[in-house]
Amino acid sequence: MKSLKNHISFLIPLFTLLFSIQFSTMLSRGIVNYESKLAGEYTIVVVSSSIIDREAIAQIVPSIDTIKEVNKDKYIDKLKDNMSQSDIVYLRATLPKFYSIKLKHLPTTDKLQEISTALKEYPKVQKVETFKATFNKLHQFLRLAKSASIIFTVFISIISFLLIMKQMEIWTLQHKKRMYIMGLFGAPYWMKSASLYKSVVLDAIIAAIAVGFMFLNIQYFVDLASIRDDLGIDLSNFHFFVDTFKLTLISLALSIISVTFTLIRQDNS
Amino acid sequence: MSNIIEARNLSLSYDKKELVIKDANFSVKAKDFVFITGKSGSGKSTFIKSLYGELHVHSGSLNVCGFDLRDVNTQKVNLLRKHTGVIFQDYKLINEWNVEKNVMLPLMIAGYSKQVCKIQAHKLLKHVKLSHKAEKFPLELSGGEQQRVAMARALAHNPILIIADEPTGNLDDYSSQVIWNLLKSVRQHIGSTILIATHRIPKTLGMDYKQYFLQDGAIHEVS
Repeated sequence: MKSLKNHISFLIPLFTLLFSIQFSTMLSRGIVNYESKLAGEYTIVVVSSSIIDREAIAQIVPSIDTIKEVNKDKYIDKLKDNMSQSDIVYLRATLPKFYSIKLKHLPTTDKLQEISTALKEYPKVQKVETFKATFNKLHQFLRLAKSASIIFTVFISIISFLLIMKQMEIWTLQHKKRMYIMGLFGAPYWMKSASLYKSVVLDAIIAAIAVGFMFLNIQYFVDLASIRDDLGIDLSNFHFFVDTFKLTLISLALSIISVTFTLIRQDNS
Repeated sequence: MSNIIEARNLSLSYDKKELVIKDANFSVKAKDFVFITGKSGSGKSTFIKSLYGELHVHSGSLNVCGFDLRDVNTQKVNLLRKHTGVIFQDYKLINEWNVEKNVMLPLMIAGYSKQVCKIQAHKLLKHVKLSHKAEKFPLELSGGEQQRVAMARALAHNPILIIADEPTGNLDDYSSQVIWNLLKSVRQHIGSTILIATHRIPKTLGMDYKQYFLQDGAIHEVS
């Protein structure tokens, strides 16, 4: 019973730590996917008095992915019924050129301002429309969500790690007498501490697999479908084997570091 | 005959300020049966601790089983402890392990297979008349029985030197007599060198022994 309590006291903070890491990873992946989707859909419109040199523009703004000229004809065609042929010809001749620019990545607000200024400085460009208001709202939300998840993970990780260290101290104190007696008969470090390492390795694997299964079945706890449909953010990005393997490595590393650190500290004292 | 223990101008201290043992000269030959006596607080346990590397030499020299203990490291101490068997006043048994596993400890450290460890442990438990308690845990045994388990453990790896620190200090007269008889039988049958720190030598030991007396940090041979 005492042993079970000890294991649970170690497993809970470790599980919480791994859960927060995986949650942050899941949110981050969702946001990255959403950003790349937004970047694909997001367009800057440039109005120019004449044809612009695409290579020259791409040199000024390296983050440009594609520049396409907007076909005016289909818009002018819609006006055919209400305008004379001569007016249509005049309109076709006097209308400026419209270009739609797509970027490689979704920019920050500052970066967007930089791009806008750079484009405006190009001699033939008359107007640059970045749709900043719409863009800003979405982007601010994404940045806030990303920052919140990182702060949450860091905070939870620190608290959990401190709890793990505390539990390690309790474990090493419980094993202290046994380790001391083994030492009196010449047992090397690895033999004295083997049972401690075995326990933490086992618990580390259990915690990682538990988190893995939790995320594998996350759709039962969180309505991922409605998040995807309502917000367009796809959070069902957990890859059981790869992610559980990564979590196991993190879990093992943290557990082994904490037990080694506590043993060394106790040895020195 | 070569010396198993050789101390020259040996000084020992816990805090490097006050010396518990001062400039002591002492030697023990192989197969000797030696008593270190002295009043409580005279430094018997301190001297014993230095023999298995738990206390470092302050000055002078100390050689035990061929190991120079002036400059020790963990590896050297571990190696020395594989050649010695120590019996403590408070038994120092691992309470979470059963009697059999406690006796197996030095053999496990020496790297023997589990099967060999078990056979040897049973042989020794038979010798100390505790075969029937192999599965019991230390706290289920009496003080005398615990000390017999500690003896079996100290003998498990056939050490060339057995060190005992007040082995009967916590025992009644009957249990003490059993322990002395066992130590005698070890000396007679195995031929290990035995060094015992005690404040009281049994009157009916019935064998030759050497006695040293510890007083004011010095070790004197009692003739």
